[in-house]
Amino acid sequence: MAYVRQISVFLDNKPNQLTGVMKLLKNHTINIRALSIADTKDFGILRMIVDDTEKAVDTLREASYAVAETEIVAITIPDTPGQLSRVLDILGEQNVNIEYLYAFLGKSDRSVSFVIRVDDNDAAYAALESGGIIRLTSNDISEM
Amino acid sequence: MEKYWDKEIETMSREDMKQLQSERLVKQVKNVYENVKYYRDLMDENGVKPEDIKSIDDLHKLPFLSKADLRDAYPYGLLARPLGDCVRIQSTSGTTGRRVVAFYTQNDVDMWENCCARAITAAGGTNEDVCQVAYGYGLFTGGPGLNGGSHKVGCLTLPMSSGNTERQIQFMRDLNATILCCTPSYAAYIGETIHDMGLSPDDIKLKAGIFGAEPWTEEMRQTIEKSLGIKAYDIYGLTETSGPGVAFECSEQTGMHINEDNFIPEIIDPDTGEVLPDGEVGELVFTSITKEAFPLLRYRTRDLCVLSRGKCSCGRTLVKMTKPMGRSDDMMIIRGVNVFPSQIETVLIAEGYAPNYIIEVDRVNNSDTLDISVEMKPEQFSDKVKDMQDQERALALSIKTMLGINPKVHLVSPKSIARSEGKAVRVIDKRKLHDTPAKK
Repeated sequence: MAYVRQISVFLDNKPNQLTGVMKLLKNHTINIRALSIADTKDFGILRMIVDDTEKAVDTLREASYAVAETEIVAITIPDTPGQLSRVLDILGEQNVNIEYLYAFLGKSDRSVSFVIRVDDNDAAYAALESGGIIRLTSNDISEM
Repeated sequence: MEKYWDKEIETMSREDMKQLQSERLVKQVKNVYENVKYYRDLMDENGVKPEDIKSIDDLHKLPFLSKADLRDAYPYGLLARPLGDCVRIQSTSGTTGRRVVAFYTQNDVDMWENCCARAITAAGGTNEDVCQVAYGYGLFTGGPGLNGGSHKVGCLTLPMSSGNTERQIQFMRDLNATILCCTPSYAAYIGETIHDMGLSPDDIKLKAGIFGAEPWTEEMRQTIEKSLGIKAYDIYGLTETSGPGVAFECSEQTGMHINEDNFIPEIIDPDTGEVLPDGEVGELVFTSITKEAFPLLRYRTRDLCVLSRGKCSCGRTLVKMTKPMGRSDDMMIIRGVNVFPSQIETVLIAEGYAPNYIIEVDRVNNSDTLDISVEMKPEQFSDKVKDMQDQERALALSIKTMLGINPKVHLVSPKSIARSEGKAVRVIDKRKLHDTPAKK
């Protein structure tokens, strides 16, 4: 099963850190599909799904950023009340632990997409599959 | 087979060395008393006459000289020769804010360069070697000292000075440099750059490095040795006595042999001034017994170390000093605890971090704070906040175990801390800003 690859970048807690990353991506015409930033008192962690993961990772590493690649689960669900709750129940029943999740724009304005970082991708996939949740592949996301 | 630059001196018996030192000391004391008013006044004040100094056993009778004396006597007050006999001036880097100028006659320059030649020879250097000197040139003694020593040994000398790291590496490769001389922080940076350029130690011909002018740890040595594929030797010196080459490391790499035919070392209790026996930690004091232009007697270096006279496997009989644990100037007193940057560096390297860090000390609500920013290596990064915070906590705990006080550790991006081409600035003590009233 090919999972979706997410890039994370360490951001120092000082001005112009995010700008630096965005400029690099712009100069290499890399498009961002999903993005979230976790911030702490000390530092930030930028998480992204982009259209050309390899190029983005090489570019950022070359510029001395600390970069990590992680396999995550991406899903799309209807934009109606209770849908996310249902997904969480499905994962919870199978004891899949969620590290973090974030939403991004989906294909249509009647659905919403999520990136979910879990401790066990295989278990999460199996649970989502049996619960009838639509999972997104890398192709799905880059074609958005 | 161990090679010596001056075998007679370097392997001299203790009795002969003591005899030589005593003769030179008696002559030097008489010389400064007669020719330098500053010394004459100082000795008279302390009730010491040249006749009281009959051998090195009487050394303790002489008054100490400190950096404050050098400032008082600036610039010519300690000069023991007419300016017409002097051929060179060097100056301190002013790390502690105040410059010191030192004068040299041609004999002084030769003596100094011979000391450096001993260091290069002890590191395996011969006239077959290509010696790349990447210490700064100019008033700083690093470049001129090793440059002169390299000439004496007959090495093909590359007077690169510091900086322009890619050019350093290009020359190193094109001209097959075998020995590198620079500060340890710059050596680490060159190693890092070689790696970043996609090269390995196999792509360069270096076999040895002679690194000094700032304190560095055993862990730092291992990092440099690995990144450059060399043996890294320590060298010690200070502008006040001549420059690098006052002491140097041999193949045993367990401390530096002091060129005691020129510089008599003593270890004293920094608080009482009392001379301590070998093996005890204290402040290093030097007496220059051969310098002509700028001879310092019992000069307090503020470096803390230990002397030992055990047999060395290299065959040298010259007394050995440990790596200075730090200059008493570098020592920070944080919440009443003495802290040296080198202690923190030891922990960082042992825990797998790069030796790139900034220590910030401040005082908040009358309590000292210790913040350490440490560069992470790219592979230490994780997308989970929890992992990063766990790493910070684990490192803080290791540092606390070493120092006894709790630091705050901040991981920062790789390469985000400025690299040094000379002496690295690692400590920012903001408390001093609060303590010193603003002057107009």
